[in-house]
Amino acid sequence: MFAYVVRRVLATIPVMAIVALFVFSLLYIAPGDPAAVIAGDQATPQDVERIRASLGLDRPFLVRFGEWVWNILRGDMGVSIFTNLPVTTMIQQRIEPTLSLMILTLCLAVSIAVPMGVVAAWKQGSWIDRAVMGFAVLGFSVPVFVVGYVLAYIFALELDWLPVQGYTKFEEGFFPWLENLILPAIALGGVYIALIARITRATMLEVLQQDYIRTARAKGAGQTSILFLHALKNAAVPIVTVIGIGIALLIGGAVVTESVFAIPGLGRLTVDAILRRDYPVIQGVVLLFSFVYVLVNLLIDLLYTLFDPRIRY
Amino acid sequence: MDRRSLLKGAVIAALPAPALAQGASRALRVIPQANLTSLDPVWTTAVVTRNHGFMVYDQLLAQDARGEIRPQMVEGWATEPDGLTVTFTLRTGLRFHDGERVTSRDCVASIWRWARRDPFMQVLQPSIAEVEALDDRRFRFRLRKPVPLLTMALGQTQFPCFVMPERLAATDAFQQIRDAIGSGPFRFVADEWNPGQRAVWAKFDGYEARAEPVDGLAGGRTPKLDRVEWTVISDPATAASAMTTGEQDYWEYPLHDLLPLLRRNRQVVVEQRLLDGTYGVCRFNCLQPPFDNPAIRRAVAMAVDQRDYLRAVAGNEPGGWEACEGVFTCGTPLANDVGSEILKTHSIERAKAALAEAGYKGEKVVLVAPGDYPQINALSLVTADILRRLGMNLELVSTDWGTLVQRRTSKEPVERGGWSIIHTTASGQSLSLPVYHLFLRANGPQAWFGWPEDAEIERLRNAWVEATDPAEGRRVAEALNRRALEVMAYIPLGFYWQPSAWRRNVTGAFKAPATVFWNMSKA
Repeated sequence: MFAYVVRRVLATIPVMAIVALFVFSLLYIAPGDPAAVIAGDQATPQDVERIRASLGLDRPFLVRFGEWVWNILRGDMGVSIFTNLPVTTMIQQRIEPTLSLMILTLCLAVSIAVPMGVVAAWKQGSWIDRAVMGFAVLGFSVPVFVVGYVLAYIFALELDWLPVQGYTKFEEGFFPWLENLILPAIALGGVYIALIARITRATMLEVLQQDYIRTARAKGAGQTSILFLHALKNAAVPIVTVIGIGIALLIGGAVVTESVFAIPGLGRLTVDAILRRDYPVIQGVVLLFSFVYVLVNLLIDLLYTLFDPRIRY
Repeated sequence: MDRRSLLKGAVIAALPAPALAQGASRALRVIPQANLTSLDPVWTTAVVTRNHGFMVYDQLLAQDARGEIRPQMVEGWATEPDGLTVTFTLRTGLRFHDGERVTSRDCVASIWRWARRDPFMQVLQPSIAEVEALDDRRFRFRLRKPVPLLTMALGQTQFPCFVMPERLAATDAFQQIRDAIGSGPFRFVADEWNPGQRAVWAKFDGYEARAEPVDGLAGGRTPKLDRVEWTVISDPATAASAMTTGEQDYWEYPLHDLLPLLRRNRQVVVEQRLLDGTYGVCRFNCLQPPFDNPAIRRAVAMAVDQRDYLRAVAGNEPGGWEACEGVFTCGTPLANDVGSEILKTHSIERAKAALAEAGYKGEKVVLVAPGDYPQINALSLVTADILRRLGMNLELVSTDWGTLVQRRTSKEPVERGGWSIIHTTASGQSLSLPVYHLFLRANGPQAWFGWPEDAEIERLRNAWVEATDPAEGRRVAEALNRRALEVMAYIPLGFYWQPSAWRRNVTGAFKAPATVFWNMSKA
């Protein structure tokens, strides 16, 4: 097991290297020029050139890429072209809101979606099943920003229960933190709940047909015990897989959600950096996201052994 | 009591004492027009950085509400009878935020750094022999010939000459400074800066404001707020909601579409604070076909009706916009419409005839529109509609602003990544005088993107700089207007007003050429 974990962690290195090369190449060939954005309308072409040179953007691709990789290896992600702040500092400033949003969404989604899927499978064909499936379709169909605006309108503007925007750090208290994040988490969680609920239902339907479920029933096990101890545990592998894959959905959705609720997270940092062509920030954030995604996948693989003892690494 | 108040009560009860004290301070919560990404107002020309500059730095001279230049950091200035020496004397009591006294050496270093980037000063620079510190409070300009526009350059709002400590001002003008230390009414709280989200300024207790009442950017810049806190809210609907619920106090640039909503709220004031409108510009690429032909440019101009553009940007708000059919800012001394008849044609049919007469042969026209910039995008789409109605072979490229600003630098034909038409906006300030009117330059490769070349425009521009009396300046401006609309390197699209919105408990808002927060308070 330990050897497997080490192997998988080491395997992230070439993955990250490919991601790094890919991101760097894409940015190199993509249109846009931060020097022109900085210089503004008043600048002459010579001014723009001077700024480009001062930023080192006039150097060859390989030189810039080599320098960037060398700095990354030393833990230095570079400095933002615009703010002059280290990229690591900017990521540190933004990581907590995004992490908070994702964790809260994840908890909310799993705690709602899994029981929903289980109940829908148990009551297959009933109105409950149809309601859950209807919700799943709705969750997939309605864009995150629409849900966000509707929630903000109802709970912030009309009822005045929750703030419209912003983020309060966890260290300033759990309730202020929750007050700011609950609407974004619900908005972001919609599609995630729909996804997990559907997969849970489908997997549970298959498991509930198995002989060992019939045996459990014959032995007099209660319905709750059958559903959650016998069936759900055996249905867990595909569900956990989907939860893991869904992390990518959350990362993508966080960009929109953070904009709608003005949460100062990594999603907004990424969008702002892309619009301004702040290359070091884009590269740093994308690299971080890909690293997180690789780690999440590793974690999911390791979780398989908990749910299915037959799996060995 | 609603649930939110209850939650707030619980939170306040749990807060430590310093946080309570902070909550009790007069902090103005502002939604700025853009994200503050750079702190150096010389390095970048971004308006948001200039607004930050007005908080942190002070100016030697400043513009009042009528556009007159008045002393700000200086007590006054004296010009020798031959006009070749101008000596400025600083006020006493000026201090930087780090506690150091402001000296004339700081001013000289700041002037040189700023002069390397300011287009206005670059016009005047050949006439300036030396700028030197005479003692701690006096510095002197030695001139090769009299420069009547010198104080106007030093006191301008467009690209202000902010004074920073000599050690910072010694930085190359093309390198960004990291420390925002000035002698202005507010000091920047660097620890709380989170680019893209938040920027904070605190009242500078050591600031000694002028005794005169505030007048535009001139007069007493008294900091009455303890803190000014900017929160970047990129989504306009969210910003409007935050203003409605009182989570924010001031919104610098509310979207025009949302103004009726804000006006319906009794707790929100919507008013014009900026003294200048925002002008639309439709720029041709004069190097490449078909717009290398001035007759084709003029034909397109005949189809333009500024009101269509302005409605597309600012809707039908009463007084929200005005047509301005000349190249100089309407309402300023040089504004005129001599030779502007072509802009009053407003006829697609006549434009079509003119286009055929000009010899348009169906060459491809690439119009680049920035989808992430609502106002400029709206201007672009109106032009696209006109070009289609004129039967031109149009390719509308919708992209983002970052891509546009790079693509507009290309001088290549459209088949090789070039462009034919772009749009932009400019403040009324920037179009009021020939010296910093970018779109009037016609010096070929050195001109603004589109690179028009016209010796007569350049001659007239120089003649205006040399003009010594206002009547002569006015005559030159009329000739410039006429010639500019003959050359038609760009089509003026009129201007719209950009109001601001604030909560009713915010007091002391006054009109100025830039968004500033001194003299404002919050009940």
